[in-house]
Amino acid sequence: MTDAAMEISGVTRNDRFTRGSKLVDALSKAGLAFAILAVMAYGSLVSPAFFTSGNLLNVLTSMSIVGIVVVGMTFVLVVGGLADLSVPATIACGAILSLGLQPMIGPLPAFVLAVGLAGLIGLINGVLVGYVGINPIIATLGIGTIGLGIVQAAVGGVIVYGSNPASAEFAKGRLFGIPVVVLIFLAIALIGHFVLSRSFWGRWTLATGGNYSAAEASAVPVQAVKAGAFVITALASGISGGLLGLTLQSARPLIGAGYEFSAITAVVVGGVSIIGGFGSVPRAIAGLIFVQLLTNVMVLDGVRTPIQGFVLGILIVGAVGMDAALRKRGVA
Amino acid sequence: MRFLALASRHRVVIILGLTLIISALVVPGYFSASTLGLGLDRAATIGLIAIGLTVLLISGQIDLSGGAVFALAGIVSVILQREIGILPAAIVGILVGAVAGAINGGLVVGLKVNSLVLTLATMLIFRSLAHWITNSQPVTGTDIMLSLALAKIYLDVFTIRSALFIILIVLLHVWLTRTIPGRNVFAVGSNPAAAKESGIASDRIVFLGFVFAGTLAGLAGVLQSLVTNTGSPVFGSELTVAVIAAVVVGGTRLEGGRGSALGTLGGVLTIGSLTIAMEFQSVPAYVQQVVSGLILILLVVLDRAVTTKGRAPGTRPALISDNPITQGGKA
Repeated sequence: MTDAAMEISGVTRNDRFTRGSKLVDALSKAGLAFAILAVMAYGSLVSPAFFTSGNLLNVLTSMSIVGIVVVGMTFVLVVGGLADLSVPATIACGAILSLGLQPMIGPLPAFVLAVGLAGLIGLINGVLVGYVGINPIIATLGIGTIGLGIVQAAVGGVIVYGSNPASAEFAKGRLFGIPVVVLIFLAIALIGHFVLSRSFWGRWTLATGGNYSAAEASAVPVQAVKAGAFVITALASGISGGLLGLTLQSARPLIGAGYEFSAITAVVVGGVSIIGGFGSVPRAIAGLIFVQLLTNVMVLDGVRTPIQGFVLGILIVGAVGMDAALRKRGVA
Repeated sequence: MRFLALASRHRVVIILGLTLIISALVVPGYFSASTLGLGLDRAATIGLIAIGLTVLLISGQIDLSGGAVFALAGIVSVILQREIGILPAAIVGILVGAVAGAINGGLVVGLKVNSLVLTLATMLIFRSLAHWITNSQPVTGTDIMLSLALAKIYLDVFTIRSALFIILIVLLHVWLTRTIPGRNVFAVGSNPAAAKESGIASDRIVFLGFVFAGTLAGLAGVLQSLVTNTGSPVFGSELTVAVIAAVVVGGTRLEGGRGSALGTLGGVLTIGSLTIAMEFQSVPAYVQQVVSGLILILLVVLDRAVTTKGRAPGTRPALISDNPITQGGKA
């Protein structure tokens, strides 16, 4: 039963890839690599600080925090779940609880519990989207609002501070000269890539996003697969939030604001289709690298924060519009 | 199930009734004219944006950028007061809303992308613009007395803002139920392909729907800025969920093709009374957000439960498959 489903969904996926979209695929991949090189060249021209190891390490660290969310968000987009807007709530949940619960149950259990509760928010999103069939953006917007409100109410709307220096040392520390946060991101990205491209769950995710009815007819548990994408994103955001909290040693309720847009931008700029059924973790991470380098160059160039948000918005519109246009030609 | 369907159909009346009873219990003198007038004035902001969103939702689209347009239009109308005077500045502010709506509509129709995703991106763009031109600082207007004049209560209940809201919602009701363009909006929302075959210019209706929604969000923002004599880039960030909740309480479906102006009126009054009641009990803002989020999710689930009836179990949820814009990208 399962074998048959895998085989059929595998065929569906191959079909989509071989029919015309190979050229588009190659073009968009090369395009992104070119864009990354161009930003790096521009960065090194406008600012002498760009190519210093300190700056690049900073970019890498901040990239890692968003990157963990990006891995999850890739699943949401590929499965055809449009976007997860509850990310600020799940990040806040991870950050606030992993700091706030430290005095009571110790740093590691606090972290695990925080990530678990973030996952619970994701489970509610997943049930609403996958099983009840509610529009993902509306569901995650509503659940995100509720979740953030509850987290704020739980701590009385104040800032939470860390109380365990050892955990802070660990989060800010390095292993073989590489920041721990970066290593955790790489591990999660590798797992995410393996699951999406090599495992049965990944094939189901691609099949569900590519053609829901066909996947369902092929005995893919489409509802669970769709729900799973939101649980994965919430767990990832919880981890990301926990690490963010441990690094900063303080967590505001709005600590995660804006991360949903950064993650969505990275994923769509990486060429993952907003319609679903197509995309991979490395593509999303390439998009992330481009966006992060661009932001970094803008910061070094003295461009103010609002303009950065403006550019992110334009990038999303451009990437989504290009995706729609390319899809129409490639997979007619 | 039958009971659910019945409850769902008359939910505006039920929910509004319940809210009014609860409000009357927790707020002494709730039904006095001054309290009602205050509540109506507060609801008018949500209401004006909700009018635009009602039309958009009926036509099968959505606009998440309303809150950001609200802030941007208000800021423009305040900043320009020194340069060109109060009234022209207000008009320019409303025009900013219309232009923002035209950008949304043009991109949705032109690129054939999902309006949820697109207006999410433009929301970020408009909000960033608002921060950009104000340096993230609130701006103040020239005439403080004007805000007092605008806040004045006529006939014991109405402010200019709430009167405008009531008039517009009645006009919308007449337009949606009595005119051909109004009926075309329903046709486009319930079955865009069929509407096109019948000679209705779907794209134009969708585009104009976005312009309408943008204009009303702009109008609401300009009025808010004139009443408070300030424009702030953070205005309206909590409005998105409240406005969608208000429209959905009123029985307008996210799937398109169904909705009414009077329903939206009921939804707006419900959210307005809830806000007043909670503010009176000094419930923190984040708890109020939890409440509007809960109302939204519960009602959307209820809608789902009622409409899924009769469909074979496990068939594809309608919202994504039937959305013309999602389909447009694929076909």
